[in-house]
Amino acid sequence: MQSKSVYKVPNGKLLKISLIYDKKNRSIDKISIMGDFFAYPEEAIETMEDELKNTKLVKDALLKKINTIINKNNIEFIGLDAEGLTTGILMCLK
Amino acid sequence: MTEKWRLLLTGENTAARNMAIDRAVLVANSNGKVPPTVRFYSWKPSAISIGYFQSLDEEIDLGVCRDLGIDYVRRITGGGAVFHEDELTYSIVIPESHKEISKNIMESYGRICGAIIKGLKNIGIDSEYKPINDIIANGKKISGNAQTRKMKTVLQHGTILTDVDVDKMFSVLRVPNEKIKDKLIADVKERVTSIKHILAKDIAFDKVAKAMKKGFEEEFKIKLVKGTLTDEEIDLTNKFETECFAAKDWNHKR
Repeated sequence: MQSKSVYKVPNGKLLKISLIYDKKNRSIDKISIMGDFFAYPEEAIETMEDELKNTKLVKDALLKKINTIINKNNIEFIGLDAEGLTTGILMCLK
Repeated sequence: MTEKWRLLLTGENTAARNMAIDRAVLVANSNGKVPPTVRFYSWKPSAISIGYFQSLDEEIDLGVCRDLGIDYVRRITGGGAVFHEDELTYSIVIPESHKEISKNIMESYGRICGAIIKGLKNIGIDSEYKPINDIIANGKKISGNAQTRKMKTVLQHGTILTDVDVDKMFSVLRVPNEKIKDKLIADVKERVTSIKHILAKDIAFDKVAKAMKKGFEEEFKIKLVKGTLTDEEIDLTNKFETECFAAKDWNHKR
């Protein structure tokens, strides 16, 4: 399944997600995280996209995985956060 | 003794060349080859720059860009799409370890924007920093800014609008919902201003640049000394222009 979402992060920036997912397993096949937010280092967003593959599209699991990736790669977001990213991704299911 | 930084006035360049120069200065400064540097520049032809994380096709109508001769480029900084036409663009490159630069990214945005605010004051415009990355005057946006940190070096670049043509801007920028495009354009006209709009007269680029130079000197208590790109920076600029900013792989990567 292919889906997109546009989500204005509260007090943040506009997040645009493009998602290809396995509907049966409710897991991520491929994701693009786009928008006018800031992330340091910038290239870490590609690491985030790679490491989110196969993650279950369930709120708690997704949020936990995103936080793990942020901590492991020392990512600093401005205008976006783990909760906002989780919400944006899950909006693709609606 | 007052610290001396370099001032670069590189005039008009294409979008790819402008972004290549900023990156070349970043690399040269991180290698200790050049002092902290402030650059003022503009864009010819007019151009759209998009943020590092944005999708080119989603943000820009490339067909209209081609028809109107408008250039486009992906930046190495995050943030949003910007239409560069009647503006002064600045960049500052400085080591992350410099005493004037906070480790905290948001604080350093505020500090660098402080130089722009002082610069605007020098031409009679009161403005203030509005986090995350805007400067507002009379409640409307007059400047947008974007910062990256690479190789222990800070690069922040931003625009100071001297005039703005919102209709032209939206002829090339895509909007999430075409049905509300007219309302969106009306909203942006309400939210964006320019030096010309506020002062009700045209101010020459050179005059704005002079005011901004003074703004940086006042904010950071330094002296800006006019200089030029080094041979190494020119080589790096040529390399980044060809291999990165003018390359389809880079601009279409998202």
